[in-house]
Amino acid sequence: MKKLLQRIYSWIDERVELQGLVEYMGKKYVPVHRHSIWYYFGGVSLFLFIIQVVTGILLLLYYKSGEELAFESINFIMSKVQFGWLIRSIHSWTANLFILSAMIHMFSVFFEKAYRKPREITWVTGMFMFFLALGFGFSGYLLPWNELAFFATKVGTDIAGVVPIIGKPLMIFLRGGDEVTGATLSRFFGFHVAVLPGLFTVFLSIHLLLVQRQGMSEPLDIKKETEQKTMPFFPNFILRDITLWLLVLNLLAILAVFFPWELGKKADAFASAPAGIKPEWYFLYMFQTLKYIPSKLWFLDGEVLGILLFGIAGLLWTMVPFWDRKSSRGEQNRFVNYLGLFAVLYIIIFTIIGWLV
Amino acid sequence: MKQRIFLFAAILIVVLASRESAFANDKCLACHRIAEDKPSALFLHDIHYAKGITCAGCHGGNPNADEIEQAMDKKAGFIGVPKGNDISKACAACHSSSEKMKSFGSSLPTNQWEILQASVHAKLSLKGKEHIAQCVTCHNSHGIVSVKNPASPVYPLNVVKTCSRCHSDIMLMRSYNPSLPVDQFEKYMTSVHGKRNAKGDPKTAECASCHGSHDIRSAKDVKSKVYASNLPGTCAVCHSDTEYMKAYKIPTDQYKKYAKSVHGIALLQKHDAGAPACNSCHGNHGAAPPGVESVSKVCGTCHALNADLFSSSPHKKAFDQRKLPECETCHSNHEIIAATDQLLGVAPEAICSHCHNETQNVKGYRVAKKMRGLIDSLEAVEKRDQELVYEAEQKGMEISEAKFRLRDVRQARLQSRTTVHAFSEEKFTGIITNGLKISAFIVAESESAIREYYFRRIGLAIATLIITLVALFLFLFVRRLEKKQNK
Amino acid sequence: MNQIPEIPENKSKRDFLQWILAGGVTAFLGAVLYPIFAYLNPPKQAEVEVSSVKAGKLSEMEKESGKIVKFGTKPVILIRTANDEVRAFSATCTHLDCTVQFRKDFGMIWCACHNGKYDLNGRNISGPPPRPLDEFRVVVQGDEILISKKT
Repeated sequence: MKKLLQRIYSWIDERVELQGLVEYMGKKYVPVHRHSIWYYFGGVSLFLFIIQVVTGILLLLYYKSGEELAFESINFIMSKVQFGWLIRSIHSWTANLFILSAMIHMFSVFFEKAYRKPREITWVTGMFMFFLALGFGFSGYLLPWNELAFFATKVGTDIAGVVPIIGKPLMIFLRGGDEVTGATLSRFFGFHVAVLPGLFTVFLSIHLLLVQRQGMSEPLDIKKETEQKTMPFFPNFILRDITLWLLVLNLLAILAVFFPWELGKKADAFASAPAGIKPEWYFLYMFQTLKYIPSKLWFLDGEVLGILLFGIAGLLWTMVPFWDRKSSRGEQNRFVNYLGLFAVLYIIIFTIIGWLV
Repeated sequence: MKQRIFLFAAILIVVLASRESAFANDKCLACHRIAEDKPSALFLHDIHYAKGITCAGCHGGNPNADEIEQAMDKKAGFIGVPKGNDISKACAACHSSSEKMKSFGSSLPTNQWEILQASVHAKLSLKGKEHIAQCVTCHNSHGIVSVKNPASPVYPLNVVKTCSRCHSDIMLMRSYNPSLPVDQFEKYMTSVHGKRNAKGDPKTAECASCHGSHDIRSAKDVKSKVYASNLPGTCAVCHSDTEYMKAYKIPTDQYKKYAKSVHGIALLQKHDAGAPACNSCHGNHGAAPPGVESVSKVCGTCHALNADLFSSSPHKKAFDQRKLPECETCHSNHEIIAATDQLLGVAPEAICSHCHNETQNVKGYRVAKKMRGLIDSLEAVEKRDQELVYEAEQKGMEISEAKFRLRDVRQARLQSRTTVHAFSEEKFTGIITNGLKISAFIVAESESAIREYYFRRIGLAIATLIITLVALFLFLFVRRLEKKQNK
Repeated sequence: MNQIPEIPENKSKRDFLQWILAGGVTAFLGAVLYPIFAYLNPPKQAEVEVSSVKAGKLSEMEKESGKIVKFGTKPVILIRTANDEVRAFSATCTHLDCTVQFRKDFGMIWCACHNGKYDLNGRNISGPPPRPLDEFRVVVQGDEILISKKT
């Protein structure tokens, strides 16, 4: 066995010169300290993304886009295709876990100030991927063409239409028309399986390349210690990563069996919206915030104000490597910590409120 | 010649004098008797005359006046020959007053005029000024006698003729209600009631017995005695009265039985106007129980499928030969209760066993036994299928197709109950087999869904075991690796 | 510590742990790949069926014909009359819940169980059914027939 692997390696090496790469990979080290645990979340997010791609491709083989058949095709996958129930439930659960894991990853990076020089672009590409992930969630949610999704999309695109100046054209672009129809479904399908994956891959490649090139960032306070423990990226960190990934996979399987993802009723454009429509949890805090803003503030519509606030907040958050000078200099920045804490608490509290209401 | 005239005048005076003394208080009658007109002749037999009521009692005027001008003076209250509603009002002047009636020693009801106003006969006549019928229309004007008097036009034996005067007049009826039949009389004469009535039985039913007298309403009127849901009660007035019916030697429990039956409950309790009342099977004017051969045709007016199947089945000839009334033999006539599967088969409570057993009518015995066995098996299978589908549903498995097909199994069972009436093993087996085939599909789907449920959980357990072990070993491997590295 | 790490040799322990690890990984791969391959194998009913809300194409329905269509869990009878009207009614007979059918020879809707008859407006006209059939809303969009509940 070893001889065979050796021969394959030599064959490739003679043509591509792997030696340099192998040496380089061998030299990668991961710092080991009390915050090391957070390093794993990037990998978990990546793993979950890969799961999405694989299950997504499998679903593509049986999913039929279009008003007449979308719902029925998912019913078909859940009931007639062997292990279809498993693939689909894993895909739906992973979507949620992926966004959760990405959020944890983002916040841990934020609190560790890992975005500071030289890792500004890593942060920015990461934020872009996060926004794309939300787009994945929003577009994918509509694809079963069930009642909840139909109305959630209606509400969501309505809110998009509220953005000043570009809102209306944006809404029509998203909906493929004035209303949510089969045209919307077609567009969202295109976004979900082609446009967003393409964009995501670009940013992911840059992100991973940078991480490989620059290695793992160390927390500011840890750097002061003299003795820095490390472990080799390959094979130690990789194997630990894989162990964790296995447990995550097991969790997904358990969720798929005991908490299968519902399908609900087929969307009926002529029916009235069911009571208590709310978006998926990762949009809930924004949705709930909008409910609390009074309908008119100064000269602005409450909704417009809400959208603008979140837009500005998102922009500032994405640009943090550029305005947080202190961290770039290696200094502690308490303000950023408080800001991060506020954001986390805000999101958690408003998500809970939105869920309970 | 002079002598003759003198004789004539003398006789006249004598006659007049005697007459005068006979009609001392009723000068109207006295004169009119001399004139020898019909009304006065009839009036002599009138009950009002017997009670001492004068012409003026209805016509007004002065019955004590000798001269015509005073006797028939409007100022004395003379109304002449009343026309239209004035006729009945004249009758009602006394007949609606209980004091007046008591003063003549009469215990007659006093609400006839009131009831008549609400009846169908109170509708306006063609002329548009009065009721269609007045009191005198049925009771006569001058020879009025008690209803119990055989001379009365409303004595039971005469009622039919009285009503027919108008109701068999095609032109007259058409001018009021073209869709109303005019053959009641002819039909009635063919019925048991009509035949007995013609023979002189005053107890048997005639028009007023069912339709009422003063309170006659259209059959479509909810308050009518012959409205669908009221009709059984109307028939029962006589037919459930054991005393009244003693002489006729027919049962008097039909109403009681009918009220317990499916038809009775539907009509009397659920007010389903489509359910049959007595007249639906017996006819209303030509009332007679259906003949032995025609029972299935009568039932077949609603139960068409069963009747057709029966008529082409071997039972038709067998029943007709033995003078067994077709549907009634198994299902009863009045106390028809919902047929269950218990009726079929060879058990003691099954009706087939009354004629079919191991030694008599053996072929039928075998077929009955088989049919019961088949329908029982379909019922059991249907129940089991329902439980299986329920189980799969409760386990959260997708089973909507099979659940939808359950209806078809039930339908097969219902259709087989109808098909029984063909008494054909082949036809029956065909329907049941179809039902069993659908059931087989349902079972396959349900069992597959339930197996899948367990498969998923077992599969998860195995996968979890594998993953846990691999994760564990990986972890141990890494630990060992790092121990080596740190040396 | 900046060396290329080597996986040290310790024959007996390594054999056991490595073998058991290899076995576990193989089992794991099997447990992952088996469902994927089974999934790729198409089921017997290869295609998704058209649902009830969209009841089919108008061009595929003859005049004076009727067909039964599934509306969620309930059967609906869809008829196309001689004057080209498309109507839909609940196909559950109001007598004892059998499934009715369209009879071109009768020119009406008929229930095979006990000879119940409904006219082409769903009204019960003969036999045991006590009530008319519930009517559904029919919208014809181009060639597509859409059935929905009457609100």
